[in-house]
Amino acid sequence: MQGVLGAFHELDSAIHAIEDLKKAKLGDITVFTPTPRHEFDHVLEHAPSKVRIYTLVMGLAGVTFGYWIPVWISDYWPLVVGGKAIATWVPFTILGFEVMVLIGGLSTVFAMFGFSHIPRLTMTVGYDPRFSSGHFGVWVETAPEQADAAIELLKKHGAEEVRRER
Amino acid sequence: MATSASPLPGGQRPNIPSAAVRFPAVRSYEQVDNEIAGTLRPTLGWFAALGIAILCLLVGAATWTYQIHEGLGAAGYQPPVMWGVYIITFVFWVGIGHAGTLISAILYLFRAGFRTSIYRVSEAMTVFAVMTAGLFPILHLGRPWKFFYLIPYPNWRLIWPNPKSPLVWDVFAILTYLTISSTFLYIGLIPDIAILRDREKNPVRKSILSMLALGWRNSDREWRHFTRAYLFLAAFATPLVLSVHSVVSFDFAMALTPGWHATIFPPYFVAGAIFSGIGMVFTIAIPLRKAFKLQHYITLNDIDAAAKLCLFTSMVVGLAYLTEFQIAWVSGNKFEQDYFWNRVFGQWAWAAWIMLICNCVLPLSLFSQKLRRNTTWLFILSLFINLGMWFERFVIVVPSLSHEFEPWQWGSYRPTWVDYGILLGSFGWFFMWFLLFIKQLPVMAMMEIKEVVPPRFKHGHTDPHDLTADQIDPDQMGVAH
Repeated sequence: MQGVLGAFHELDSAIHAIEDLKKAKLGDITVFTPTPRHEFDHVLEHAPSKVRIYTLVMGLAGVTFGYWIPVWISDYWPLVVGGKAIATWVPFTILGFEVMVLIGGLSTVFAMFGFSHIPRLTMTVGYDPRFSSGHFGVWVETAPEQADAAIELLKKHGAEEVRRER
Repeated sequence: MATSASPLPGGQRPNIPSAAVRFPAVRSYEQVDNEIAGTLRPTLGWFAALGIAILCLLVGAATWTYQIHEGLGAAGYQPPVMWGVYIITFVFWVGIGHAGTLISAILYLFRAGFRTSIYRVSEAMTVFAVMTAGLFPILHLGRPWKFFYLIPYPNWRLIWPNPKSPLVWDVFAILTYLTISSTFLYIGLIPDIAILRDREKNPVRKSILSMLALGWRNSDREWRHFTRAYLFLAAFATPLVLSVHSVVSFDFAMALTPGWHATIFPPYFVAGAIFSGIGMVFTIAIPLRKAFKLQHYITLNDIDAAAKLCLFTSMVVGLAYLTEFQIAWVSGNKFEQDYFWNRVFGQWAWAAWIMLICNCVLPLSLFSQKLRRNTTWLFILSLFINLGMWFERFVIVVPSLSHEFEPWQWGSYRPTWVDYGILLGSFGWFFMWFLLFIKQLPVMAMMEIKEVVPPRFKHGHTDPHDLTADQIDPDQMGVAH
């Protein structure tokens, strides 16, 4: 993995640099930002996160499992009270709901980890500690022959620092 | 507040609650990092507070050891009152946890701006409060090491817990709540831990923070999935808040005991939980704000908004108290009527009146804006609310059990030093974790505060309706105090 990394202090400079990099088609762009900014979402035009699919599917699996546990227990060890049904869905809704939240919530987190590629053992190339504080970073994964064009473009838009990384 | 801002050119009406002026005294992302990370340096006062908390915890631990040796009889339980301080304190701590989730999850979904500065504290409070509450059912067991019998798993005994019992619902509800709250807290902390990791010079601390940050890099990919996952976790946590205390209320409402067997219990408990939790948020956040000099983050406007929420929940709780009496009155049930009369004019009147004064009368002072913005009064009031909400649970548990249907069932209850020792220990346990937390991890979500601090622009901010920080007087935004 090789490319060019630009560090910006101003949000609008970074946005304009990304717009021009996209037009020039110099390579895949990754943006580093200390806090989520909708301006980057608009300019990068990524598809919405698929985390929600895992939330829905695993939430449904959770509620099913949550109902199944008490139904199975009641059937395995029947406590007949006043001729009432052994598997009673009303009280079992509590367990169904809790297990839905538990499994759905944890699956959401694991899906987020998976899609975000974390946990990550190394920071890999193209990161600078300034990006967690006050700077915006633009990483362009580009071939060496196109790196100069990317550097020029990032500098033109006011990047504080531009460097090649591999 | 709008009148306090300088008018914009052309007589435009300034949009005060905009991103540009939410924290007028906070000018840059770097300032956020420096000031909030600066709160992590231990101080003498912090060591003293931690020492007191650990001492209280040791008193509780020693008392529990004594109780295990002597048996549960060492606590003040005797027929007919077999539930006392432990269950009261269990409900109290579960309730404390609820405001944290309300502030962090429900207000997040409602996009309430005032939550930004106080939600981390509230969320941490939730986790530690539920950790504390979870101890009490175990403390209440004659053989506490058998607590796992309540968890359904294949076992050699070939027996399973009864899924129709509220106690089993409690296990599911509390464990789910603890897991989701801890996850919610940790997920929100990851970007902030990454900030600390990038600032850290000490190699040992840096490697620990690196592990906890999971290699977070603030990339657009990470933020995209993070924000979505956070939203869904908030959406799950919201009904969870309502369900957990409803389930706790079923511990009582499922019994036929007078004063307990009422359908109002779930909403009544949820409102009470949120009310008590907001009280504890004030108890914690107001001294923190002063000690850490965070007045320009936790502004008087934020405190004012939280105080309004406190007033509202106090009135809901007051309405629930009145409804209980009204139901007993119109029910025609002699036992219910007798019980409620006994509650306010009989044996336990002193406890009921502490509850009513602390929870319903004193919070009415919050109708005054001057008092809502007076942090000293709010702190004092929060202590009364904590006291009042503990007594609310006392009034629910003890008078009902000591005054059931027949006179021969009536009795009394007096907590022993063992009960008090364990109650003290629970506060020690809670505050020990909380104090350790505030010096290891940021007490405010730096990442979320940065979201509302205007970023640096090369060509200026273009929205004419937003005021910039320079155009507004910080004193008028409730910053200086």
